[in-house]
Amino acid sequence: MSTDFEKQLQRQPLRELPRDWRAEILATAAGPRPDSIQSRGDGVSAWPSLRAWAALAAVWPIIFLLQFTSPAEPQPAGNSPGMTMRSFAMLHEQTLLMAESFGQPNAGQPAAAVPAPPKPRSEIARRQLIG
Amino acid sequence: MASSPDIARLYDDHAPALFAFLLNLLRNEADTFDVMQDLFVKLDRRPALLEGVRDERGFLLRLAHNAAIDLIRRQDARERNYGQLACEPMPLFAQSTAPDEQIFREKLAEALGELPPDQRAVVHLKLWENLTFEAISETLEIPLNTAASRYRYGLDKLRERLRPLYDEIK
Repeated sequence: MSTDFEKQLQRQPLRELPRDWRAEILATAAGPRPDSIQSRGDGVSAWPSLRAWAALAAVWPIIFLLQFTSPAEPQPAGNSPGMTMRSFAMLHEQTLLMAESFGQPNAGQPAAAVPAPPKPRSEIARRQLIG
Repeated sequence: MASSPDIARLYDDHAPALFAFLLNLLRNEADTFDVMQDLFVKLDRRPALLEGVRDERGFLLRLAHNAAIDLIRRQDARERNYGQLACEPMPLFAQSTAPDEQIFREKLAEALGELPPDQRAVVHLKLWENLTFEAISETLEIPLNTAASRYRYGLDKLRERLRPLYDEIK
């Protein structure tokens, strides 16, 4: 239910719409449609530019061509998705067999650790400890 | 296939209400014109928009509100002074020959400009479009309680601001 104050506000007449707007707005609305908008049957503008679609269609075969003609880059062994645990085991077994056939019984064992050459930082730290 | 809507008929039926609503929200005649023009161009270019719409007025007010809020946000981000612009005197009501009435209308326009746009939109739709809170909540896509509370807060501020004048002319 409206109070007196609300009724007082409602009684205030709003400004009238400028008359000259009608012709201008309707003329713009009915004006020529931009080339980039191709209205489909259902009224939804989904084709921004035919030229853009044609260019895209022309680029795809080139991309495919480049993809199949360029040489494959070597993949790092650790990242190869085809390398399973089973293939690693087979490779290890083959290595051992080859080593045995060439008379190297310990070829499959890891080599003894070789001390790494001293790095500048470790050298400095060692000198400080000794000195 | 959607038939092309009768834009002239839509304009004649709804443009005055859209104009008053947008002017109250945007507080700028040029911006109001731009938003209205964009809206009618959109309706002409995309006839499917109005398919299945039962309440044309409510639908158009919603489109206008969304466009106005977008514009306010863009301007706010660009200028950071829209709130100040909104408070500037803006002839929102018809001129009155009675001096007291005219002053009241000017002060009312100022007071409305001081409300946040979301409260202003609800107050406008309730007072000058005579919409129910349910219709306002659908138009502005807000919960019913939010519409009611925004109206109450907005009206309280207007009452506070206009009390001396209102008591005089009552």
